[in-house]
Amino acid sequence: MSFTDPRLMAESLSRVVAGRVEEFVVGVGIVDSVMVKYASGEISVTQSWRDYVVHVYIAKDGKISMSTYTTSDPGEAIKTTIPLIDKLSPSPFYAPLPQPSGSPLSSVDSKIREASLSGDPGSIVEEVDVRGYGNVAGMILLKYSRNHYIGSNGLDMGYEVTKFNGYFRAFKGEESGQWAWVSTAYEPRLALKSLEKAGELASLCYSLPKVKVESGKYRVLLSPMVAGNLLEDVASAASAGSVIMGLSFLQGRKPGDVIASEKLTLREVPRAENMPGIRGFDDEGVATRDKSIIERGVFKGFIHNTKTAKLMNAESTGNAGWLIPRLFNLEVDPGSLREEELLEALGSGIYATNNWYTRFQNYLEGSFSTVTRDALIIVENGKPSGCYRRARLTGTLPKLIENIEELSRERWPIEWWEVRTPTLLPHTLISEMHVTAGAML
Amino acid sequence: MTGFQELLKHVEAILAAGSSYGEARFHSIRGLTLLFLNGSLIGASTSDVTGVAFRAVYSGGLGFASTSDLSSEGLRGAAFRAVSSAKASSLVLKRGVAMGPSPQGSARYSVVEAKPLEDVSVEDKMRIVGEMVKSVDLKKDPMRVTNYMVVYSETVEYKIVVNSEGARVESRIPRVSIFYNISASSGERRANRWNSLAASGGLEVLDKVKFTEEFQDDVNSLYINLVKAGDPPKGRMDIVLAPEIVGLAMHESVGHPSEADRVLGREAAQAGLSYRVEYRDEYIGSPKVTVYDDPTIPGSYGFYLYDDEGVPARRRTLIDKGKLAELLHNRETATVYGVESNASARSTDYRSEPIVRMANTYMAPGDYSFEELVEGVKEGVYLRKYMEWNIDDYRWVARYVGLEAYIIRNGRLEEPVRNVVLEVNTKEFLSSVDAVGRDLQFSAGTCGKGEPSQPMPVWMGGPHIRLRGVVVG
Repeated sequence: MSFTDPRLMAESLSRVVAGRVEEFVVGVGIVDSVMVKYASGEISVTQSWRDYVVHVYIAKDGKISMSTYTTSDPGEAIKTTIPLIDKLSPSPFYAPLPQPSGSPLSSVDSKIREASLSGDPGSIVEEVDVRGYGNVAGMILLKYSRNHYIGSNGLDMGYEVTKFNGYFRAFKGEESGQWAWVSTAYEPRLALKSLEKAGELASLCYSLPKVKVESGKYRVLLSPMVAGNLLEDVASAASAGSVIMGLSFLQGRKPGDVIASEKLTLREVPRAENMPGIRGFDDEGVATRDKSIIERGVFKGFIHNTKTAKLMNAESTGNAGWLIPRLFNLEVDPGSLREEELLEALGSGIYATNNWYTRFQNYLEGSFSTVTRDALIIVENGKPSGCYRRARLTGTLPKLIENIEELSRERWPIEWWEVRTPTLLPHTLISEMHVTAGAML
Repeated sequence: MTGFQELLKHVEAILAAGSSYGEARFHSIRGLTLLFLNGSLIGASTSDVTGVAFRAVYSGGLGFASTSDLSSEGLRGAAFRAVSSAKASSLVLKRGVAMGPSPQGSARYSVVEAKPLEDVSVEDKMRIVGEMVKSVDLKKDPMRVTNYMVVYSETVEYKIVVNSEGARVESRIPRVSIFYNISASSGERRANRWNSLAASGGLEVLDKVKFTEEFQDDVNSLYINLVKAGDPPKGRMDIVLAPEIVGLAMHESVGHPSEADRVLGREAAQAGLSYRVEYRDEYIGSPKVTVYDDPTIPGSYGFYLYDDEGVPARRRTLIDKGKLAELLHNRETATVYGVESNASARSTDYRSEPIVRMANTYMAPGDYSFEELVEGVKEGVYLRKYMEWNIDDYRWVARYVGLEAYIIRNGRLEEPVRNVVLEVNTKEFLSSVDAVGRDLQFSAGTCGKGEPSQPMPVWMGGPHIRLRGVVVG
């Protein structure tokens, strides 16, 4: 494979498809990335990738087939899988590809591009030197992707984007803190800030007495790490795909319904320049637009591609996904209090700084349970008074967003294991959440 | 396809550049997925993820690079990047990485398909799965199945692993899986059940995993939960757990914390740590509890005979009659512990470094029948299926919420109860096991770990077991 231009590759591959089927889109990504992973305060491995990723959508007589190739000869692979379309039955999801309406939108940082292309993380290892931070684990990712889409609907657009993403988990004794960041720009300060935040949380917990949390209802302050995880699930529930699959607590809701606290405005922002999900057009070629999913507590509408829009008698929101709509970037509007003021507003309660393993007992009711990890700080009269580990937060997403009392003015750009969509968001104060006691070893 | 000789050429180049260890893996996964919603085929997708991964160790620095560009130039570039990454890492290391002595395999093996995937047309696969889906009785008045999604998936994984220490292993493993989610409601109550059935092999897997029976049984479980079940009991009581929950618990509370890389902190910022970092007792369970992880079970979803570092696989004993036993190792972690690797290095695809993973984790069966387990309970609960679970990153406190459960009264199964919550720490769980059934069964799962994420096929298993005096509710 000798292509270095995704447009040339997409053109070449579209010639393989054109004429064989009625409708198609070929999407090509040439993706270079380098990742430094840390464990026990030092580099555990440095990894680099060069991938040619080809996505092909084809439709014929109402039948739909999609393919993904990360292989040295995608042209040959496409030829062998095109006949598959004739063997399928028509899909109730089928809708014709729309006329392209978007325009390219890119966000490239030259320093990330050069590091990614070379596979050498370069100066980031020195600029974010973990050696003074004790027992630290984490990762730094530098990624550069070049993408181009060509379709039978006249789609012929590409974009480039860089990504600077990572997280650190710091340990002090048995206590830990974790923080993440994401950006399209090379901003070592974000990585250093995450390193410091992780260290601060670990040190704070280390210095505080261990206090057992009794099971019950509490006022809870969610860090952007935790709120990012749970609000991403809220945004996913607004995907028409989730509704159609029977996996959404928003099933039956209509635009205009009040579903959350008026403090909450949750937006899907594909055009945010500093977020790596940036897109000017979606996978069908429809123009993306920044939009509210929830605005001051009011549900504004579902996220659609042309297929789900047809099924639900709506308009595409520019969020294709060829079969299921997708989220590009998320943003939560800031509140009015500074973080310290928010801690004071919490009064007595719990500050959950990180979580993982969110599981749904029931998607239709949005009932979830999630496990706190890292610093779980007990707050009394607005001041940290103790620390605990491994409690659970349980509840339902509808109640969670109803119970948002206040948000911080400061916002953090987060993406990590438990927050898959790049999300800019503040600390979030919840007036009442159920907490079940965890246990120390 | 990139063959042994081509890969070895690049391993030699890695060594020639000053590395103490070189490794190359050609890794190809081809797949077909069929997605059904409410009985209709929504679409099909195919995939071909093929490329080569290289690893190099240079003065203690570990470098990894991969590419899907299989031209000589592309492979040379990736091998070079692996070395340069290792060199860069070596400059800032305190301890570094070493690959200690380990047996290395030289073998070629493949999973035999009774009904080879290639011999069955896509139309026939659609028809077979479609007929299975249509044969299920969804009518359970007053419950209504509001949505059901079925995803048929098949993959053929082909690998060549070579390294500078003699490993020469070629393998071919086909796998078939069926994933489904059923959403149902009755009046104001709503619930959903998802399930995953999978094994290695050809299309015969569809019969082996009993898709239709499982699906039907899950519809019945939703009906029991939504229509028949009463409020769950609370308090300390005996509990009989079904194999699907025992298997999950063995995976989550025994398998994961036995991964040596977690104990060493290599996964600390991702999948987390392990109670085995801090836990100092020799014993963690009752003498009834023995837990294995065994990649060599024929037909299993987690099957392999050599790991991705070329080490011959064997059964690993994680808990032996209640006593904590061996950890799961790759060569890097085994070296730290001064033992030989027990062949736990697995990688999802060519883009993934081999890290410590489970294969098929299960509690060894005992000699009780299900009836005997229940007969021995004066007052308690039988938890047959779960609908939600989670666990902290030390793998210490797990929570399971029952989809289908029954009260046990005076040794007899009585009325169903919904949403029974079992929240218990690992030692309480394993120590309270007083009887183990003989009906070993496995469930399929896709285990998550690594950065970038490496979903991995596994089985999780166990028999029915009885726990004495645990807190429910």
